[in-house]
Amino acid sequence: MTFTEECKEAILRGNIDQAAVLAQKVLDEKLDINDAIDAFSLAIREAGDLFEEGEFFLPELMRSAEAMKAAMTIFEPVLKEGKEERILGKVVIGTIEGDIHDIGKTLVAAMLSAEGFVVHDLGADVPVSTFIEKALEVNANLICISALLTTTMVGQKKLIDSLKEKNLRDRFKVLIGGAPVSKQWVEEIGADGSAENAVSAVKLAKKLIESK
Amino acid sequence: MGDKKPILDLLQEELIILDGAMGSLLIDQGLPAGAPPEIWNVSNPDKIKKIHQKYFDAGSNVVLTNTFGGSGLKLAAYKRENSIEEYNRKAVEIAIESCPENGYIAGDIGPSGTFLLPVGDITTIDFESNYQEQMQILADAGVDLFFIETMVDLQEAEAAVKSVKSVSKLPVFVSMTYKKTKRGFFTIMGNSIEQCVASLQKLGVDAIGANCTIGSDDMIELIKELNLLTELPIIAKPNAGQPQLIKGETVYPTTSKDFAKDISQIVKNNARIVGGCCGTDPGFIEKIVQKIKR
Repeated sequence: MTFTEECKEAILRGNIDQAAVLAQKVLDEKLDINDAIDAFSLAIREAGDLFEEGEFFLPELMRSAEAMKAAMTIFEPVLKEGKEERILGKVVIGTIEGDIHDIGKTLVAAMLSAEGFVVHDLGADVPVSTFIEKALEVNANLICISALLTTTMVGQKKLIDSLKEKNLRDRFKVLIGGAPVSKQWVEEIGADGSAENAVSAVKLAKKLIESK
Repeated sequence: MGDKKPILDLLQEELIILDGAMGSLLIDQGLPAGAPPEIWNVSNPDKIKKIHQKYFDAGSNVVLTNTFGGSGLKLAAYKRENSIEEYNRKAVEIAIESCPENGYIAGDIGPSGTFLLPVGDITTIDFESNYQEQMQILADAGVDLFFIETMVDLQEAEAAVKSVKSVSKLPVFVSMTYKKTKRGFFTIMGNSIEQCVASLQKLGVDAIGANCTIGSDDMIELIKELNLLTELPIIAKPNAGQPQLIKGETVYPTTSKDFAKDISQIVKNNARIVGGCCGTDPGFIEKIVQKIKR
């Protein structure tokens, strides 16, 4: 098995220890760090595809994301040193006030973080004001706001309205998520997008950041 | 409640009709977003009672107590875990008050909202103690059976069944929630119907089935598959389609008429215990009864 294949296997099997060992090997043996990151990234994308296909489920995808994170954590100091920081963007994410469902949100957070975003996860039942304060504090590019209930979805609109009132709407991209969220709802409240699942959410987040 | 026959005997003789949604009706009646529905067992018992009565009037043999989110772990997410005893005991009292002589009360148990590693940080032991506490209260308050539903993780469902067996000898019905993938029906944790059936049967549950997530149309196919895998009585409790928010109103697209038609097919596929989940109401149950019992 080539080194690239080993990297891929560690991620797809969700082998956190092995991913860390391989990342360390890159540093110890002075292998090309960018090649290694590319290999890990391809694998996490494949994990995402498998999730979309119904081959992977929550535990597998979560483990793959954790393995990816383990590798990236080891690379981080070196990347910073070399000013090769691969931070794609800063994200503030949470489930809206009144809603305690946070599994979808947690998965999106893990996948964003695995792909190289800096993620501030505020948890569940988060007031609109907290989202905005945090986003300002960390100078976020992206706010992701989840709601599983049709009754709490209105909080997503509140967030966007509140950003508009404060003249902050252009400062952040806003992605909304949750089972009942539709394209129609995205348009109605003026969000920047929504995705069917965690994998598409990451793709969309990248696209939005690049276009900014 | 008198000397009605045990529910398992009734099940030998006829189809059992469950109730429909509770949560969505409470929201319609003003339950604030973000409040656990169980609080109304204490602050608005008459509204809960009326819903139970409407279901019995519509022809439900069994109603589920308003305790879906009444476990300690779930209530803790709302910082209300100290009210577990009151919420659950009151829920059973209300259901009993609304119950006709030949009706049955099922202690409703939903998922804890927490997850095992690597998705969350919970252990199966946490699950078991979580459910034991709630089930003991429900058993003491006088439910006729337990209804464990909407489970996304087979391990959590197993823990719930073990818990109930440790506190009570009452019948246990278990219903998982599956999503439809390109490879068939799975829970979001990746449990297949086959795995769920094999494991739950071994634990000695009295009926097995599926509820929520999918609508009545997809449920037809799911029950067909389930029927090939078990001899146990089969439960089907689908949603009225997928919810949509239209002009601020939550709308479920499936009509009661289409729903009842699907349920009739589901019964042909051998489900013995049927009802509705999200988006259904007493009108749906009435239509089901008209379609399959008369």
